[in-house]
Amino acid sequence: MNWIIWLIPAFPLFGFVINALAVRRERDAGILASVMVGLSFAATIVAMVLLEGSPADAKRLTWTLWEWISAGDFRVAFGLLFDPLTAVMALLITGVGGLIHVYSIGYMHGDVRPVRFFAFMNLFVFAMLMLVMADNLLLLFLGWEGVGLCSFLLIGHYFDRRSVPPGINPSDAAVKAFVANRIGDAAMLAALFAIFANFGTLSFYDNPQLGISGYLDQAVAIAGDTIDLGAFGQLPLIAGITLLMLVAVTGKSAQFPLYTWLPDAMAGPTPVSALIHAATMVTSGVYLIVRNHTLFDQLTSAAPWVLVIGVMTAFIGATAAVAQLDIKRVLAYSTISQLGYMVAAVGMGAYVAGMYHLLTHGLFKALLFLAAGSVIHGIGGHQDMRRMGGLRDDLPTTFRLYVVGALALSGIFPLAGFWSKDEIIAHAWFDARSPLAAIILILTSAITAFYMGRQIGMIFFGRPRDPAMHGHESGATMRWPMIVLAGGAVIGGLINFPGLHWLNSYLRPVLQEPEVVYTLGMGVLATITTLLSAGAGYLGWKIYARDLEPRIRIGKEDPAFRYLGDLWRGMEFGWGLDWLYQRVVVRPYRAASVFLSQVVDREGIDGVLVDGTARGLVRLARGLRLLQSGYVRMYALMFLAGVIILITFFALRG
Amino acid sequence: MPLRQRSVRNAVVSMNSVPLLSVMIWLPALGALVVLALPRQNVAAQRGVSLGAALLALAAAVGVALFFNPAHAGFQLVERVAWVPSWGISYTVSVDGISLWLVVLTAFLTPIALAASWGTVERQERAFHALVLLLASGLFGVFTAQDMLLFYVFFEFTLVPTALLIGIWGGAERRYAAIKFFAYTFSGSVFLLLGIIGLYLLHGQATGVYTFDIATILASLQLGALRLDTGAERLIFGLFFIGFAIKAPIWPFHTWMTTAHAEAPSSGVVDIIGLLIKIGAYGLIRFNVQLFPAAAAWAAPAVGVLAVIGILYAAWIAYQQTDMKRLLAYASVSHVGLIVLGIFALNTQGIAGAVAHMVNSALTTGALFLVVGMLVARRGSRELKAFGGLWKTMPWLGSLTLLLALGSIGLPGLNGFVSEFTVLQGSWRSPGLGWRYTLPAILGVVFAAVYLLHMYRTAFMGETLPELARAPDVRPRELALLIALATPVVVLGLYPNALFGPMQQSVTQIAQGTLPYLASR
Repeated sequence: MNWIIWLIPAFPLFGFVINALAVRRERDAGILASVMVGLSFAATIVAMVLLEGSPADAKRLTWTLWEWISAGDFRVAFGLLFDPLTAVMALLITGVGGLIHVYSIGYMHGDVRPVRFFAFMNLFVFAMLMLVMADNLLLLFLGWEGVGLCSFLLIGHYFDRRSVPPGINPSDAAVKAFVANRIGDAAMLAALFAIFANFGTLSFYDNPQLGISGYLDQAVAIAGDTIDLGAFGQLPLIAGITLLMLVAVTGKSAQFPLYTWLPDAMAGPTPVSALIHAATMVTSGVYLIVRNHTLFDQLTSAAPWVLVIGVMTAFIGATAAVAQLDIKRVLAYSTISQLGYMVAAVGMGAYVAGMYHLLTHGLFKALLFLAAGSVIHGIGGHQDMRRMGGLRDDLPTTFRLYVVGALALSGIFPLAGFWSKDEIIAHAWFDARSPLAAIILILTSAITAFYMGRQIGMIFFGRPRDPAMHGHESGATMRWPMIVLAGGAVIGGLINFPGLHWLNSYLRPVLQEPEVVYTLGMGVLATITTLLSAGAGYLGWKIYARDLEPRIRIGKEDPAFRYLGDLWRGMEFGWGLDWLYQRVVVRPYRAASVFLSQVVDREGIDGVLVDGTARGLVRLARGLRLLQSGYVRMYALMFLAGVIILITFFALRG
Repeated sequence: MPLRQRSVRNAVVSMNSVPLLSVMIWLPALGALVVLALPRQNVAAQRGVSLGAALLALAAAVGVALFFNPAHAGFQLVERVAWVPSWGISYTVSVDGISLWLVVLTAFLTPIALAASWGTVERQERAFHALVLLLASGLFGVFTAQDMLLFYVFFEFTLVPTALLIGIWGGAERRYAAIKFFAYTFSGSVFLLLGIIGLYLLHGQATGVYTFDIATILASLQLGALRLDTGAERLIFGLFFIGFAIKAPIWPFHTWMTTAHAEAPSSGVVDIIGLLIKIGAYGLIRFNVQLFPAAAAWAAPAVGVLAVIGILYAAWIAYQQTDMKRLLAYASVSHVGLIVLGIFALNTQGIAGAVAHMVNSALTTGALFLVVGMLVARRGSRELKAFGGLWKTMPWLGSLTLLLALGSIGLPGLNGFVSEFTVLQGSWRSPGLGWRYTLPAILGVVFAAVYLLHMYRTAFMGETLPELARAPDVRPRELALLIALATPVVVLGLYPNALFGPMQQSVTQIAQGTLPYLASR
């Protein structure tokens, strides 16, 4: 029965192929795509039931289709793995993914290329499932690059437009996403080579039946090995591998310093933002670390790089989100910030807490994006929050759902975000003994609440600022998926509720993490955090719905710009990393390309070396008057010279 | 001279009932003669005959592949006829696991190239077809010849049709490009000939058997009948290396190739059949690594540096090319760097990956050259700036081009990735190279995405230019050609063992030959 796990990715792949080749009508495409993801969800449930039947010490189902690569001793199977960690990821992907597909049927109605859209959405679900179900790192890499490709395809959905709100060129954004991902992927490739060169396998776990050994089962054995860096001394092998993986994570999971592609990814249709750039693809970096936790355990104890990157990203993302004027960009930077939380969690070794936040975030961030899509859809495609205002009455359902999502994201008791986020903060304070990280994360939590308050204030409260705008509520196909997600955002915290710790128990076969023991101190910390957040959220709402509301004008600066000036500008531009890359990387790369092409290659190698040598030889031949015609003389001359060299050589060596 | 007597006797014994390899080699040449005899006006008959000859050669090549026994490492399907017995020259053709793939690749690309040329050749179509067929014969000969002099004859022979195809039907600078191509690679082959003669003489002196037969010389080297001292081995290695480095081409000998690609007929025909099939890289494996493992191990670190520079340098330059053919030409040079890196990893993975990458990069880059040819046919320009937004007006061409570009970029699941990964993996584990070579080479992965996506984004995405608003999407013949090339891109990406399986034994044998010399490091 283990073959059943192949059905999980097979359904969306089938949907992609049929939609790409055979379907022409929008309605058929949407229904086919949604049904396929639904079937995939059902197959996941069946696989979970099967998984329950397997023995406690080997809680995993595997199935190999064929041997993918075999060159010398380098052998990789095209095999899938289904264990508890995969199960929760697959549930999120197919569950939230399925809801977003259904929502898209309504949202994409009347779009220019709906069939393509649904085909690529299914391809994305397939790639993401391959990523989390691969039983070896190379097949994981197939999914890893596959989701990057789908990101490219879907960000570029409106590739024929010069600009989509807020002034992004979709084609450029698509290429940027692919290239930024590729930089991380290059590091990932290096990690793969290092792993294979040192472990002799890319499989995760031992599989005695197939005679495969897994590198994760050997990690401890070579903990002492080092890489010789020559002048730079010795680097512990596992530190090297995990640092390379960390670079890969910063690309895919939009961490500092490679996050700049994610805000531009909002050029895609909103359901894409919800599915790919919030709920699933960007979490693959977190999954990668959790899957390789036996390696990362050793890095975490040695150097807190992962934690540092995560905390920095959380803070940078949150501050940038405060100053955005585009409804989706706020959420994009918020996603970066929340991914920072997850990375920080796994960087402290709190893998369950990281997965917990990954799952709850998947629910409420998908909800927020879909609700944002509902707003955009309801007011005719506008995304600039300065044009909105007072939409509470026009979009009553969307408004309520948005508030639920915002409260969950802000970590307000008792919604899902509260439980998962506070577990991370508590871990930083009590277990990792890193009060600085904990304080920054608490502060970030307050900032999060502030920008969500600001956003709700700007969108739904105050006066309608654009007299031409009339909102209408979305239809049932869009409303119901949001309502289901909102339910998840409210009760999602239950999956690892203190005292119940279901998620912890379920993941124990993979992570072997002890249950968190809850103390009074944790309760105090959680209370302080949630009170701070509630206060900051109220403040954000009050300022933008009441105090500064009269000064918000279409096309004008945010009123806070007057008070903060350059600081505000810095936040608005995501702290200028794009600006920096443009000057330090992109332009020099382009200039060097032109220089190499026109000067080094044309004048240097081809001009001086090649043509120069040829001219010299021709002149020499002419001088010797050996032969008169064409290139034959050059040929003869060189031949003669060579024969002389050869004869001399053999004569000399006697 | 017992050895020579045996080889003469073998000539009779081993001529089995159907000399399949010889049929494959000479069928296209025969087709060329028939085409030239056809009336000038009857273009349909010319196309039919030439395509028919190419398809028959393909059938013969498939037959060769079916008769090939993947469990054997050595040369198979040997056909031998004494040619100039007094000098030890013979017509010996056979295949091993490495040449098999290049034979199949040539056989596969020839009919595609012929069909792609239809409607693009304005004058002398008869001669054009004949030259393409002659070129195919020459390539088959290069990859099957197991006599050094025969190899050299075929090696030189491929130059003529290629140079003529560029010089007669090429772009504005075609004469310059053709002469440069001919003179440059011809100069390189002088060194090759010197190396062949030197090896012939050394072998004769040492064993008393004067022969050009590769298998005999290889056996003498391996059994110790012929011991080359270090200096002599390195000298002969160097002579072969210069010839093949220019032909491959390895950086910095690449400029003839970018010029030739740029000026070759815009349809892309000569690019795929004349320039993308990697004779030079094949020669490096067959001669430099197989015959001189010690010198190869000695030279590997230096060649590796050239290879890595080539990967990055060419990929970097490709990014800002305004001419699409030039862009692809530099991409091709970058791929050669990767192939050479794999060969000089001197281990099974590196060499197997390199052979696979010869096939894969010829398929993807060749297909992209055909795409450019289709674009030129619609717009009359190769300038990247003359295109935009084609994905909207030509969805089929746009999607297929994206697939092929992704194959070339090395997206997992498509063919380019598997060979690229295997090569890099091999270089990382190679004692002669190691991660210091692999890490910079990996950057090529990013560079490749940058230049090809830049090309795709400019030509196929963005707003549709008004001049292109009515450009027709792929026609059935074009679609068939692209699907023929895209199918192996997907199939070999998911099941690369089809490629690796038959070559495994031969590659392992060659790699094992270098082991004693690498271990001493």
